[in-house]
Amino acid sequence: MGLYGGRVDAVIELEGLRKEYRRLRGSTTVAVDGLDLSVPSGGVFGFLGPNGAGKTTTIRCLLGLVRPSGGRCRLLGREPADLHRVIGRVGSIVESPTMYPRFTGRRNLELLARIEGIRRSRVREVLEEVALDDRGDDLVKTYSLGMKQRLGIAAALLKDPELLILDEPANGLDPAGIVEVRELMRRLGREGRTVFVSSHILTEVQQTADRVAILARGRTVATGPVHEVLMAGRAAGLVVRLDDVAGGLRALGEAGIPATSDDGVIHVDLPPGDAARVTRTLADRGLYLTELRSDEADLETVFLELTSGPGTQDR
Amino acid sequence: MIALLASELRRFRSRRLVKVLTGLEVLGIVVAGVIVFLTQEYDLAAFPNTLRGSSLVLLSVGWMLGASAIGAEWHAGHLTTILTWEPRRGRVILAKIVASLAGVFVLSLAVQALLGIALAIDAAGRGSTTGADAAWFAESAAVATRVALLSTIFAGFGFALAAAGRNTAVALGAGFAYLVIVENLVRGLRPEWAPWLLTDNAALFIIGRTDFNLPGRTVVQSGVYLAAVGLGLLLGAAGLFRVRDVT
Repeated sequence: MGLYGGRVDAVIELEGLRKEYRRLRGSTTVAVDGLDLSVPSGGVFGFLGPNGAGKTTTIRCLLGLVRPSGGRCRLLGREPADLHRVIGRVGSIVESPTMYPRFTGRRNLELLARIEGIRRSRVREVLEEVALDDRGDDLVKTYSLGMKQRLGIAAALLKDPELLILDEPANGLDPAGIVEVRELMRRLGREGRTVFVSSHILTEVQQTADRVAILARGRTVATGPVHEVLMAGRAAGLVVRLDDVAGGLRALGEAGIPATSDDGVIHVDLPPGDAARVTRTLADRGLYLTELRSDEADLETVFLELTSGPGTQDR
Repeated sequence: MIALLASELRRFRSRRLVKVLTGLEVLGIVVAGVIVFLTQEYDLAAFPNTLRGSSLVLLSVGWMLGASAIGAEWHAGHLTTILTWEPRRGRVILAKIVASLAGVFVLSLAVQALLGIALAIDAAGRGSTTGADAAWFAESAAVATRVALLSTIFAGFGFALAAAGRNTAVALGAGFAYLVIVENLVRGLRPEWAPWLLTDNAALFIIGRTDFNLPGRTVVQSGVYLAAVGLGLLLGAAGLFRVRDVT
């Protein structure tokens, strides 16, 4: 059930989404190439991909800013032609949010609020929420990049949205600002809203998102809960540390356990569930461990493995 | 739609170019008023002709304001933000057209009224107010209204070209190229096409005298023709806006 009524199982649905840009010389750039994606309601969903992977184009398709060349996309169950019926429940930032530089931050928000009939007190609330209440009456042209980004987030929050689509929201923010945005996204996700966030700052997504999709060359190469994507991205293994690395390698080899050494540790090519077999094998030969842990991948490693290759396709 | 229109009117009113050009016009009127006061004995009966003579400034300002109303939005990327609040593009472009054209019309009338006040002070102080009767007032009001209408139509031309080209400079460049190159070429090579030239029709509309320069063409016909061209350009621009990607 959607937060504000109306049953919606997936808040974002993409089926074979394709977007080509034709150039004047006749060649075609494929920005999105048959993208399938389903984003469930609630929580934070990370949308990852290298530059040129098609993240922003996908978001533009969802928001009706560009017309797909093929496939389907639905936002809160609506096709782009019916977007106006749900846009009041969607807050968004696309790339760097643009506001009127010679208006104050507050006035910019009031102009947007007026379009949807949002009360003025809500402007004050969102300015406080992004810590801009003390600068709300300054002209936007005096804002730093990070402050402009926070103002964009405030604009996205104005509608008290059920779904937030944030395209690289941490762009231009200082470390404190990044932490604030991360906390904000977590809180919004906990409140039952869906936060769809595209980013290339992988550690941010790993710390914030419940689920991720990784995009490469206009297609989804992995999607699911973060821990599942991490596991799927590379073979599971174990890291063993002991004083006699050479002896350990020899003992494991004699027992038929595949292992390699690197930088004073042994990487064992067995799943974490077989850790007891490794400790027993080593202990039987009088070798005692100083460390044993699963060889976990971080999202960055998985991301690089999955997305390596050329970016946008030119034809 | 009303909320969107109100929001666009606020934006138009707050634009820097609107403020700068309005300020320059007011400054020009004050300076001209002082110079006229010091050097001439202004006859208020000539005011309708003064309005006709100064119309070129208002038409140019109208073109620029119309062009920048959408060109600057494209250039800065504000349209992306607005379309994420109101995805019905027809409404967005209609609100922008109405706001900018209404703004130009009101501004043109206000500037002419200010000019009238300045010259009336000159005439009362050192010149003559003889002949400033009801007929004079009616003629002055008619000329001022036609100048304001034509400024609005020219704002429509500028808006349409800037919307299609996604840049204010495109509209200004296209306008300059049309007026300087196309119209002069047509006059030289195809003089029989003169009734369809914008400047000839604009001159007839401002002068307000049938058969002034285009035999058989009335003032109303000129106005309708210019408005139809403007409407056609705006419809074309709105059609493009509805189908093109916003990137």
